[in-house]
Amino acid sequence: MLSKPRQRFQAWWSLRHPPSDTHLMVQRNIYILPSRPGLFFCATLLVLLLASINEQLSLGYLLTFLLTGAGFVSMHVTHANLRGLSLDLRAPAPVFAGEEAGLQIRLHNPAAARYGIGLRAAEQRAEQRAWTDVPAQGHSQLQLRLAMPRRGLHALPTLRIETRFPFGLFGAWSVWRPACQVWVYPAPEQPCPPLPAGSGAADPQRAVQLAPLPGQDLDEVRGYRRGDSPRQILWKKAAQAGDGDAQLWVRDTRSPRGHELWLELGQTQGLAWEARLSRLCAWVLRADAQALPYGLRLGGQSLGPDAGPAHRQACLELLARAQERA
Amino acid sequence: MKPLPREARDTLFLLAVIAAAVAPHAEHLPLWCSAITALVLLWRGVLAWRSAALPGRWTLLAALLLVLGLTLLTHHRLVGREPGLTMLVMLMALKTMELRARRDAFVVFFLGFFLVLTQFLYSQSLLTALWTLATVWGLLAALILAQMPVGQPHLRLAARHAARNTLWGLPVMVALYLLFPRIGPLWGVPSDATGRTGLSNQMEFGGVAELANDDSIALRLRFEPGVVLPPPWALYFRGPVLTLFDGRTWRARAAGDAFSQFSRRSASPPEVAGPRLRYELTLEPLRLPVVPLLEMSPEAPGSELQAGELSLRRGLDLQWQAPRPITERLRLQASAYLDYRIGPLQADLGLQPYLELPPSRNPRTLGWASELRRQPRFADLDASRLPVALADAVLAHVRSEEFIYTLAPGRYGETSPHLVDEFWFDRRLGFCEHFASAFVVVMRAMGVPARVVTGFQGADAELQDGYLVVRNSQAHAWAEYWVPGRGWLRADPTAAVAPERIRGGQPLRPPPGPLAGALGQVNPALWLQMRRAWETINNRWQQAVLGYSRSDQFDLLKRLGWSAPDWSALGQLSAGLIALIAAAGGLWASWQARPHDAWSRQRQWLMARLARLGIAAQAHQGLRQWAELLMARHGSAAAPLAELLLELERSRYAAAPAPALGLLARWRWQREFTRAAAPLRSRHLTRK
Repeated sequence: MLSKPRQRFQAWWSLRHPPSDTHLMVQRNIYILPSRPGLFFCATLLVLLLASINEQLSLGYLLTFLLTGAGFVSMHVTHANLRGLSLDLRAPAPVFAGEEAGLQIRLHNPAAARYGIGLRAAEQRAEQRAWTDVPAQGHSQLQLRLAMPRRGLHALPTLRIETRFPFGLFGAWSVWRPACQVWVYPAPEQPCPPLPAGSGAADPQRAVQLAPLPGQDLDEVRGYRRGDSPRQILWKKAAQAGDGDAQLWVRDTRSPRGHELWLELGQTQGLAWEARLSRLCAWVLRADAQALPYGLRLGGQSLGPDAGPAHRQACLELLARAQERA
Repeated sequence: MKPLPREARDTLFLLAVIAAAVAPHAEHLPLWCSAITALVLLWRGVLAWRSAALPGRWTLLAALLLVLGLTLLTHHRLVGREPGLTMLVMLMALKTMELRARRDAFVVFFLGFFLVLTQFLYSQSLLTALWTLATVWGLLAALILAQMPVGQPHLRLAARHAARNTLWGLPVMVALYLLFPRIGPLWGVPSDATGRTGLSNQMEFGGVAELANDDSIALRLRFEPGVVLPPPWALYFRGPVLTLFDGRTWRARAAGDAFSQFSRRSASPPEVAGPRLRYELTLEPLRLPVVPLLEMSPEAPGSELQAGELSLRRGLDLQWQAPRPITERLRLQASAYLDYRIGPLQADLGLQPYLELPPSRNPRTLGWASELRRQPRFADLDASRLPVALADAVLAHVRSEEFIYTLAPGRYGETSPHLVDEFWFDRRLGFCEHFASAFVVVMRAMGVPARVVTGFQGADAELQDGYLVVRNSQAHAWAEYWVPGRGWLRADPTAAVAPERIRGGQPLRPPPGPLAGALGQVNPALWLQMRRAWETINNRWQQAVLGYSRSDQFDLLKRLGWSAPDWSALGQLSAGLIALIAAAGGLWASWQARPHDAWSRQRQWLMARLARLGIAAQAHQGLRQWAELLMARHGSAAAPLAELLLELERSRYAAAPAPALGLLARWRWQREFTRAAAPLRSRHLTRK
């Protein structure tokens, strides 16, 4: 019975704060309450007033009312410190589970300078707040680090923009639900196990041979050709040559032409579900690092074989989304 | 020198502000307290400078215990004003030693506000107010610094924000100060004046070794226009009348003592003659239950006089009694006659208390008095002339013998209980209260009823801003003795020994301080002028700001149109003001919400108008698109409107700045648009 009002509240709350990638703070979405020191300040004022009445101190009245006025104005100043400020964020780069996603938030200020603007995810503790000042007619940037323990496509957490400037007697805050999402890939297994023996059409023996083993140099060195991955460039050699115009050399991994590398769930038998995904992830990364064309089969979907960043991303996203079948 | 780290700088600033808040208290604090406070603040400063660690909890606890012990040792208690202040200052100093969390900082700030307030118990002068303002400004700036966590904000920035915040709060302050109901003390009685010279409700004979002159203003007098200013020697302000003497201390008669019924029966209003001096009196808070008024007001004993919300009652000794010590500035209208006679005229039992002397005290004085009384020249005088002749003889004695008027007579009664003997025969040093006391004792010893009257005598030679100024240093004690058929007569034995004190109405001044002395030496005229100017400003400040009382509140209401102001009128005014502020706030918020540039406002206006014509104009569309929508909807009838839109677009995006976008042009354009839209509008409505 309790859940119904709660649901209704949740629905109202979400309606009030529609997800958006920009956030303009106006009267509607700024909340303000006296802080704990603010309450103590009120108590102090009361005592000052009582003392002034009892000792009949005119200057005491003046002091009390001066502080009252300043406190009252500080409420408006605290509110105005947020009002009119607009925020936007850059979609965060994908991360692996267990890493922290870096959230880049920009604050735009069309009016006078703002001080002591704090930002944190709603579930973070108050001490993890990131602080910034925003200059007049300018903008500033904030980096927020969010722990991402679980893989998947996650909505960004609700953000809380807070300020207590100038006196700390009032806390004003606004709630922002960013619309963009962040990809969290499975954590790659460490250290990376050797790539699996070839599967599918390829001859397993050959695939194993093709996989470079530690200490075994299967690479050749040739001149740079357009389209070569920067990863393949021998930067050390380029640095030794010194001259910018000098020929770049790349490491030519012996491409497994005709022999396809397939990464499949079946090659990771005996592991727990997440560990299997972790291993697949590690393999994808390894194969990508070596610029091997590879394919991924998972849950009835198959990608590739292919190489390159787009393919890598597609594979990792597939892994991030993977559902365990019952 | 490399700049201090943020933390150290902020701490040093806060310490400086705290020192400024504590400094004015130094003169009321025990020496050890000032010393420890200075040491602790200094130590904390050094720690901040070196970014060293703060002392541990146990050290602080030990220090706290030590302070508690010292406080108990000095004041013999922990509650009350002096020990409370001592503890407050010490807590504040020790708290700076544990500025760890932000919470600690807030504690320091709030203690600081208290400390500032306690300063007003001792002084509310303009100088105090200015100093306070500076201190509070500093505290607020430090508070702001604590809320600026990024980088190293400049102190000036924080100070500017604090000042701006306070300035914006001024209207609230003024409104509250004007409208907050002024009520009397809620409980208890405001604490008594401490260690100040001036008037007091009792008088200890020879208890003060040296009278520290207090030059602050006690009361101000403004006579009605046309009144001839009385000479200073005629200005006696009647304060507490002291009758009971135990050999050391003079006290006033209790209102209900054994003889009071006789006194009450024979009480009569003073018989007055001569011109009536009407005046307005402003009394500083003397913290006395007696109001010193100019002698002699014509009201009878037992009658009442309204002074603000207080009603004063005239006592049997013709003093004006208030129901409680007066702790606020009091303003009242009264009148006085310099020529008067006060009764009773016939002897009765009510005079008995004025004849009593402490038993077995001052035998030599009593002996001297009876010897004088036995002199043959007094033998055949009748009852109405004898007391006057005796008083003259005593005053002549004071004048002819080597009595010396001094503010530093030393302490009496250290070796013997016969204080008056010691004064009358051995040392002969004293000021007004010694002379008045001795005179009364001698008169009583000769069988003449007599009493000590305290109050003020004289005034500043020059008017200050139209006011006659009487200072605390002009506090005075004189005597009254009773003569059959003539009533009570005033005798001022001080005038016999130091006529200049009475004639000029000027107090004898103790030597001035080093700075004032130096300036007074170099240029006495300039010094005097500066002093007068400062006092004039201070007077204005006290009259206008500090003196604001309940009656002023009601006067304000009267001026605002309430015919019979009372508390509910005050409430109505406050409620109205709050409503006004709320409405203004709402207006401001909607003003803020509307677009700030003229072009956006123009577009908003247009969109509303187009909606009335059944056109769903979107914000992202241009004027040209709106014109097309108009044509599509209303056909050729909309052509003039579409043309107007296009014209507006042309002038908006013309290469040369268009003159058509000014305020006036905009209005003209809008009028034209409305006119052109009228036929379409009626068509649209009928079609609906």
